[in-house]
Amino acid sequence: MRASPINLPRRTLPPARLYCTGISDDAVGSSKLKIFDRSLKRKQRDRAAWLMQPKPKDSLVDSVAENLLDRLEDCKRTFSTAACLGGSMEAIRRLLRGRGGIEKFIMMDASCDMVNLCKRAEKDSPNENVETSFVVGDEEFLPFKESSLDLIISNLGLHWTNDLPGAMIQCRLALKPDGLFLASIFGGETLKELRIACTVAQMEREGGISPRLSPLAQVRDAGNLLTRAGFSLPGVDVDEYVVRYSSSLELIEHLRSMGETNALLQRSQILKKETALATAAVYQSMFGAEDGTIPATFQVIFMTGWREHHSQQKAKRRGSATISFKDIQNQFGNN
Amino acid sequence: MVRIGRMLLKDASVGISKTLSEILVCPLSKQPLRLCEKTNSLISDSIGVSYPIVDGIPRLVPTDGKMIDLEEGSSTNSTVGSDDGKINHQRGSSS
Repeated sequence: MRASPINLPRRTLPPARLYCTGISDDAVGSSKLKIFDRSLKRKQRDRAAWLMQPKPKDSLVDSVAENLLDRLEDCKRTFSTAACLGGSMEAIRRLLRGRGGIEKFIMMDASCDMVNLCKRAEKDSPNENVETSFVVGDEEFLPFKESSLDLIISNLGLHWTNDLPGAMIQCRLALKPDGLFLASIFGGETLKELRIACTVAQMEREGGISPRLSPLAQVRDAGNLLTRAGFSLPGVDVDEYVVRYSSSLELIEHLRSMGETNALLQRSQILKKETALATAAVYQSMFGAEDGTIPATFQVIFMTGWREHHSQQKAKRRGSATISFKDIQNQFGNN
Repeated sequence: MVRIGRMLLKDASVGISKTLSEILVCPLSKQPLRLCEKTNSLISDSIGVSYPIVDGIPRLVPTDGKMIDLEEGSSTNSTVGSDDGKINHQRGSSS
């Protein structure tokens, strides 16, 4: 009877989810809904590892990673043990430059090729004074011991998890008290132009629409997510990047090299050439600039949260005030 | 010769760094893992699953794990000697 759910085939896995979020009492109502095909995402990230091979430099990813790592400099404390979860973690490693005082750095991705790429890159240009280790793991099933990490960074990866609250709860549990969770995900405005172009073209050519782009979290959800996962001092902010491409094909190539292509379970398996060309035409005519380039919006939501610790500031108990606001107003307000 | 070759191979790729062995747990049960040097894998005793280590990188994705009963069934055919003698107990210190 023990662990029968894990008996090889992938489709029998969902019950195993009980093991992972079940250990925490506050993992209430974690959704069993499957939206994304995680094994396909893994393959796409394998492909991304190959596509980014000659030069793993991507200005969009790099600026997001830079922005994310910048937050480490705002923290007074250092983080000796840090984990970097899947998504664009190569950029994180490359741009780290000693920030956050990290001594032990663990990089985890679901894609073996991506991890190997990072390992090779680490050999070529090691981060000084950082002991880097590598793990192949799934964000939905974090393999980290409870209270073992000072910092968890996730750069553009968590928006592909089926159970984002569950994944974040696992992150919180893996953190030590006063540990920092730092994540960036793509938000709902991302690729809105492509979303519109796909819909229009599909309506026109096929008389109906199928999901081509995944549902993404909205900004207002992000704060709720952090609170629901039990992080204290939650902080959310948003940045919008507009990237200009010379054609929509270039946009798709870029998405491929980031591993950000469609991985919805309910996706349509075929894309007719006609529809694809129509989408490109619609995109060009609706959003194209005069110089022939097309813009694509990427909305990035940055989330920060801390694992609770007694040293953190918190609101005082209700009714514990000793001075009335009226007195304060009398003192300062009326002169 | 084969034995020597195997020994060399072992030295090169068996096991994981100390940092990892301190931090990693089974992704499903969150229980400590133990290193099995013979199969070069991490074994989660609580649910009976083994996760392979490839080039020093442990693969802890649940779908990469193998049910241990199946694996033992296949390995006892090819190797001699009891499992217990060779398995190195490296339980992570639980907090």
